[in-house]
Amino acid sequence: MSLLLKVSDLSVAYGSVPAVIDASLEMNPGEIRVILGANGAGKSTIIKTLLGLVRARTGRIEFDGKHDLTRLKPHQIHRLGIAWVPEGRKLWGSLTVLENLRMGGFIETDNGKIEKGIAEMFERFPRLKERRDQLAGSLSGGEQQMVAIARALMSKPRLLLMDEPSIGLAPIVVRDIFELVRTINHDGISVLMVEQNARQALTLAHWAYLLETGQIVEAGPASEIATKERVQEVFLGGAA
Amino acid sequence: MLTFGFWEPVIILAAINVILICGLYIIALSGAYSMATAAFAGVGGYISAVLTANLDWPFVPALAAAGLGGAVLGCIVAIVTLRMKDFVLKITTLAVGEALSIAAFNIKYIGGANGFSGIPLYTTMTAVLLVAAASIFIAWRVDKSGLGLGARAIRDDLVAAASTGVSLRAVRVVTFGIGSALISIGGALSAHYVLIISPSQLGFLYSLNYIVFLLAGGVQTLWGPVLTTILLSGIPELLRFANEYRLIAYGLIIVAVVMWRPNGLITRSRKPV
Amino acid sequence: MDTFLQQVMNGVVIGSTYAVVAVGFSLVFTVLRVVNFAHPDIFMLGMFAGLWSALHVSDNLIFVLVAGAVGAGLSGVVLERVVIRPLQGRDMLITLLATLGVSIILQNGMAIVAGPDPVPYPAIIPQTFIPLGPVSLTVRQLVNFVACAVLLMAASYYVRGTKYGRATRAVAELPEVAAAFGVDVSLISLVTVVLASMMAGVAGVSVGLLYGSAWAFVGLLYGLKALIILLVAGNRYFEGVVLVAIVLGVIEALITGYVSSGMRDVVTFLLLIGVLCFRPNGIFGSYKT
Repeated sequence: MSLLLKVSDLSVAYGSVPAVIDASLEMNPGEIRVILGANGAGKSTIIKTLLGLVRARTGRIEFDGKHDLTRLKPHQIHRLGIAWVPEGRKLWGSLTVLENLRMGGFIETDNGKIEKGIAEMFERFPRLKERRDQLAGSLSGGEQQMVAIARALMSKPRLLLMDEPSIGLAPIVVRDIFELVRTINHDGISVLMVEQNARQALTLAHWAYLLETGQIVEAGPASEIATKERVQEVFLGGAA
Repeated sequence: MLTFGFWEPVIILAAINVILICGLYIIALSGAYSMATAAFAGVGGYISAVLTANLDWPFVPALAAAGLGGAVLGCIVAIVTLRMKDFVLKITTLAVGEALSIAAFNIKYIGGANGFSGIPLYTTMTAVLLVAAASIFIAWRVDKSGLGLGARAIRDDLVAAASTGVSLRAVRVVTFGIGSALISIGGALSAHYVLIISPSQLGFLYSLNYIVFLLAGGVQTLWGPVLTTILLSGIPELLRFANEYRLIAYGLIIVAVVMWRPNGLITRSRKPV
Repeated sequence: MDTFLQQVMNGVVIGSTYAVVAVGFSLVFTVLRVVNFAHPDIFMLGMFAGLWSALHVSDNLIFVLVAGAVGAGLSGVVLERVVIRPLQGRDMLITLLATLGVSIILQNGMAIVAGPDPVPYPAIIPQTFIPLGPVSLTVRQLVNFVACAVLLMAASYYVRGTKYGRATRAVAELPEVAAAFGVDVSLISLVTVVLASMMAGVAGVSVGLLYGSAWAFVGLLYGLKALIILLVAGNRYFEGVVLVAIVLGVIEALITGYVSSGMRDVVTFLLLIGVLCFRPNGIFGSYKT
C-alpha cells in the first residue's frame, strides 16, 4: 500500500523570510494526521504549499506515489482529489450557501451528480438546508465552518486539508466539528489537519507532528506526542 | 544643431519640467500621485498671464500670485481627497484636472477655446534655471525633513503612520500646498516664455507626461525623476519630424517603461518591491 | 414638458451605451483588479470591424454586429495575454498606465489607417422616426437601445445564472480559494476580458450605426465616463452601474438641452468629486478590492 502523501525536505520562504525549513511528513490512506504549532510556526504555509498556492523553495511533495505537487497549479491539484477547508473558513460571502456548495463541486461536470452531492450535504447538515439561499457571509461561525467542510466534501476528495478548523468557535461547537471529522474519516477520507487546539486534535488523530518556527521538532503517534513535555507545557496547560 | 540658439528652448523647457516634477515629487511623497499636474501648471499660467497682461502687474509679484493660487488650489484638493483610498484619490485628481481644463475652455474672459495670448515675454534662461535650482533644493529639503519622513510613512503604511502620531491632514495639506505652488510657478514661467496658453495644455495627456517622468525615474528618490525629466524633455524636440507616429511612439514608450521598469530607473537600494 | 421627456428619452438611449461600456469595464476591474483604459478603444475597434464588414462583406445588420463582437473579442484576447496578464498583481496604477499607453497606440494607429476625422458608416438602418405620444424615437435609437439592453441582460444572466459566471464571481471575491476548488483563474480572466470586449464591440457597432460615423478617437468620449460611472456606482452591484450610467446619460442630455453642451462634462466631473467626497467607495459600495 503506497503512501497517500509524502513530503520531503520542504522549504518555503516569503521573500527572504523562511517560513518552513526542511519539513518532512507522510500520510497513509485513511489516516488523520495533525500538525500542531503555535501562531506563526508555519502551519498554514505548509497547507498552502500543498495546495500549490505558495511555491516551495526546495523539496518534494508526492501524492499517491505518482504526482509531484510542487510542479502543479492549484486547480490541477484539486482535481487529483485534494480539498481545502481554509483557515477562517474563507467562504464566498457574496454567494449563497447553495452557490458555495455548487462551487465546491465545480470540477464535476455531471449536473445530476452535483445535485445528488448537494442533497447529501443537506442531509448531513440540515441546518444548512434551511439557510441554502442566504448569503454565506451572514451565517454564524459554526455554520460557516459547516459550509466550508461541506464545500470541500462536494468534490469527493481523497485528502482533506483542514487549517485550524476550531479557531474562533465555542468549545461545544468545536467538539461537534471534530466528531464530524471522525465520521468523515470513517467514510474513507484522509485528513491532514493543522491545529492550535492540541487537546481535542490529539484525541482525534492517529499521528501528530509538532512544528516550531518552521521546523518539525516532534513526530509520532498522537498518544505519544500528547505525553511529550513541550506539548504538555505549551498546549495542554502543564498538567497531563 | 549645435548652435546655442537651438538648445536654448530645450534647456528652458527642460528646466520648467524639472520645476514641475519637483512639485509633483513633493505631492507624491505621501502616496498621492496627482494626475492634474498640467492643469495646475496651466492655472498658474493663466493667473500670471491675466495679472501681467490685463492688470499690468510686474513679473515677480505675478509669479508669487500664481504660486499662491496654486497653493490654495492644492490645499483644497488635499482636503477634499483626505478620506479617499489611494486609487480613488488619483482618479479624483484626474477629474479635477479635466474639470479645470474644460473650465478654461469655456471661460471667455481668459480667452476660451482660443486660449490667452499676448503674454509678455518675461522668462529668461537665468530666471528659469534659478527657479529650477531652487525647486530642487526645496524638494530635497522637504524630502529629508520630518514632513518628508512622515509623508513616506503614510505612503508605505497609512495605519502604522497614524499610530505614530503622523497627521494625514497636516502632511497632505502642506505637501499639496508646497508642491502645487511650485507647479503653478513653473506653469507661469512657461506661459511667459511661450506667450500663449491654450486650454488643451491642461489636459490629462499632458499631466500624464509628468507621471511617466516620475514613475520612470523612480518615486523613491528625487534624483531619478529629475534626471529622467531632463533626459526625456529633449526627446519631443528631436522627434519633431516623426509627427504622426510621435504619439504612437509615445504610447509604446509608456507601455515599455511600465512593463519593464515599473519601479523606475533609479530606486533606493534595500527597499523591497 | 415635451422637450424634457424627449431629452430624457435621448439620455436613456445614450445611457444604455454608457452602461454597456461601464459594465464591461467594471467586470474586468472587479475580476482582474485591473483598470483597462484601453476598453473604450476596444469599443472603437469593434466599431471599425463592423464598418469594414459592412463595406466589404455584407451589410446585414446581424452580421455587422457579430463582426463587431468578433473584432473586439480578438483584440481583447491579445490585450489580455500581452499586456494585462504579465502585469497581474501589480499596483493598479501600473496597469492603468500600461493600458493607457495601449489606448494611445490604438487611437493614433487607427487615426493613421482611417484618418483622424470621423468616417461615414453605411446607413444600414433607416433614419425614420417613431412617434410615441409626446416624444419620438428614431429606429436607430431603438436598435441601439435594444442591442444594449440585450447585452446587459445576457451579461447579468451569465454572471448570476451560469456555472462559469458563478466561478467568475468567486474569482472576483477570493481568487486563491477559487483556484483551490478547481477554477482555472487564468482562463476565467481571459474569458471575462473577451466577454467584456465583445459587449463593447457590439455597442461600438450600434453607436456607429446610430450616429452614422466611426471615429478613431471615439474612445475618448467613453473612457473617462466609464471610469467615473464605476467609481460613482461602486462595483458591488451590477445594477448600480447600469443605473448610474443611465442617470448620467439623462443628466447629460438634460444639460445639453437646457444649459450648454460645453458645461456638460464639467458637471460630470463635479458630480464625481462630490460623490467621492462622501462615499469614497461609490454610492452602492465597493466589492472589497
